[in-house]
Amino acid sequence: MPIKNRFAELLPEIAEWRQTIHAHPEIGFELDHTAPLVAEKLRAFGCDEVVTGIGETGVVGVIRGRTDSRGQVIGLRGDMDALPILEQSGAAYASQNPGVMHACGHDGHTAMLLGAAKYLAETRNFDGTVVLLFQPAEELGSGAKAMIDDGVMDRFGVKEVYGMHNMPGLPVGQFAIRPGAMLAATDEFFVEVTGRGGHAAKPNEAIDPTVTASQIILALQSIVSRNADPVEQGVLSVTSVQTSSTAYNVIPQSVKLRGTVRTHSAHMQDMIEARLGEMARSVADGFGAQAEVTYLRHVPITINAEEPTAFATGIAEAVSGGCSEAPLIMGGEDFAYMLQERPGAFIYVGNGDSAALHHPEYNFDDEAIPAGCSWFAELVERRMPTAQA
Amino acid sequence: MPIKNRLADMHEEITGWRRHLHETPELLYEVHETAGFVVDRLREFGLTDITPGIGRTGVVAVIEGKTNTSGRVIGLRADMDALPIMEASGVDYASRTPGVMHACGHDGHTSILLGVAKYLSETRNFDGKVVLIFQPAEEGGAGGKAMCDDGLMDRWGIQEVYGLHNMPGFPVGAFAIRPGPLLASADEFEITVTGKGGHAANPHEAVDTTLVASQIVVSLQSIVARNVNPLKRVVVTVGTFQTDSNASNVIAHQVRMKGTVRTLDPDERALAEERVRRVVENTAAAFGAQAEVIWEEGYPVTVNSPQETRHAVEAARAVSDHVDDETDPIMPAEDFSFMLEQRPGAYIFLGNGDTPMCHHPAYVFDDEAIPLGCSWFAELVERRMPAA
Repeated sequence: MPIKNRFAELLPEIAEWRQTIHAHPEIGFELDHTAPLVAEKLRAFGCDEVVTGIGETGVVGVIRGRTDSRGQVIGLRGDMDALPILEQSGAAYASQNPGVMHACGHDGHTAMLLGAAKYLAETRNFDGTVVLLFQPAEELGSGAKAMIDDGVMDRFGVKEVYGMHNMPGLPVGQFAIRPGAMLAATDEFFVEVTGRGGHAAKPNEAIDPTVTASQIILALQSIVSRNADPVEQGVLSVTSVQTSSTAYNVIPQSVKLRGTVRTHSAHMQDMIEARLGEMARSVADGFGAQAEVTYLRHVPITINAEEPTAFATGIAEAVSGGCSEAPLIMGGEDFAYMLQERPGAFIYVGNGDSAALHHPEYNFDDEAIPAGCSWFAELVERRMPTAQA
Repeated sequence: MPIKNRLADMHEEITGWRRHLHETPELLYEVHETAGFVVDRLREFGLTDITPGIGRTGVVAVIEGKTNTSGRVIGLRADMDALPIMEASGVDYASRTPGVMHACGHDGHTSILLGVAKYLSETRNFDGKVVLIFQPAEEGGAGGKAMCDDGLMDRWGIQEVYGLHNMPGFPVGAFAIRPGPLLASADEFEITVTGKGGHAANPHEAVDTTLVASQIVVSLQSIVARNVNPLKRVVVTVGTFQTDSNASNVIAHQVRMKGTVRTLDPDERALAEERVRRVVENTAAAFGAQAEVIWEEGYPVTVNSPQETRHAVEAARAVSDHVDDETDPIMPAEDFSFMLEQRPGAYIFLGNGDTPMCHHPAYVFDDEAIPLGCSWFAELVERRMPAA
């Protein structure tokens, strides 16, 4: 039996929660409507503990199984925040908060985890403890880390963590996953190239930072093409260039570059960070200019642990009859911080032929809810089976 | 006797005109009060052949010599417009119009030419005709070209033209000039590179406009290094580079760059334009992007003709012991160049002493240079068209 019958019954109710959340999207940590809604539902389901204010506005719910003979504790994570996008989905329940939109399906993720919580609180057909982790600010890349910094893993004794993200392009209800690296580290860099400003007609009295910065942009491309192992993945994009002057007849004093580095392995990340600094400073030095490099590591690589991934794959196959290998993605996901703390896995659930994530016409497909809820519930019941089962 | 006595006598009066003009600066073609002041003074001097409204607000006036057996007609030119700069000179006759300032000394140039007009209209000690040219919009408005387009040279039968510009950094009393190119041509270009914007993590789905534009900036440097005759002088500067997105995770769709090309040779100017266009368009094409070049032709090279430069040097030597007749050319531009394209002539620098540079808010024209500038023009007229 692929999808649990109970979730087929609960679909209208869970879809209604999803659409309510969709109509009231909120940004970052400012989840005044969403977080209380989640906490209130968890209490109504009869969760054993409901704790708010973890990582500012994160919510944690605890559900104990019928038995707890082995001390197993599984964390299940959903994200609650929306995006600063003006919605154009045309849905009847579209955002009532103009310029803010659930364009990444976190409304669906939260509703599915609430659905799983309702079922698990009703049945408690497992031997151990489930910790529900509703996090803020995934889109800022800092919500998961805020909950971890508040001690969520140790405080609730979480031993493994699992999370899910919808995936446009994958048929509704299908799953995809891969062991090891799945999403990228998203690093940001700034290079300020300082030459010596002057009159455009007197280049000999100046050090032209525009030419220097252009040479740096070209030279940086050789890191991926020449320094990286060709079988590894990496992206280095210089995305913004601004001269300190906007006059046509002035050689500016400085040029600011900004960009991003995406990698799937720690040594690629280390290598690119090191080469970026060396290259920018050396090229600038060659022109008599200076380059000041600031390199910020944001969300780390999302790495699925081997054994939990294999287990999660088996659950997905049981729920939907199959599970494909997920493509490596150069985007980032802040569940990566939780996977740094505990073994676990992140899985994609198909959202069908919808607009892409972060697109104004995107919408979460409620038909994915039974599959998503079933995967969470099945995972708990098989990972922590009761003696009778 | 270097400075003409009569002009030394007039120093105070001319200084008074100069300071009045300094207090009432006007921009580009809007030099209505200044042109009116010029016309009033010329009438006071007894001149009758005065024509305003040439090149919109320029003024042309004629002074006949005692005789005219030579048939020679010499044009003397001054510029009247000021700059959009907030004055910080600290002088007690500073601009009364906030944000507008005579920061290039055109108040001095106009006053010097008025002083010459007064002297010549009194003495008329020459055989021929002098045409006084007071032009608007030297500072970027091509006022010199506007006057030429109104038929200045043919209508008044001008055969030679002369002008002067004050020069901070050269001592007061010094003159500097050279035959051939003295100031550069200044053309402006705007480059718009259009690639294909996208997510910074998916470069293969985009055409990275920033990378293409960087290649263009670097490749443009090869024009001076590899295409220009090494004995010639050309500058290609990309002054601004702005991506249309400022986010770290977006590949920009469009990049805009603005810059300037300066040359001292008309052939190199044409070569530079042709090379800029080809480098930009072909570099973009090689990356699958498009580029558009908007070329705004600015002032041409200011080229002094050899014979007239010699006359200018002789007149300067009669006035001053400090005459450099082989000064280095400079890369700023000057719209007297349009007049020198139509007639032989010469442009000379007149020392302004140790002041801040032209266009600086603290720049001050040195009134001590007035008798020298006036004497140079007057000597030039009297030597070039000697009375019988």
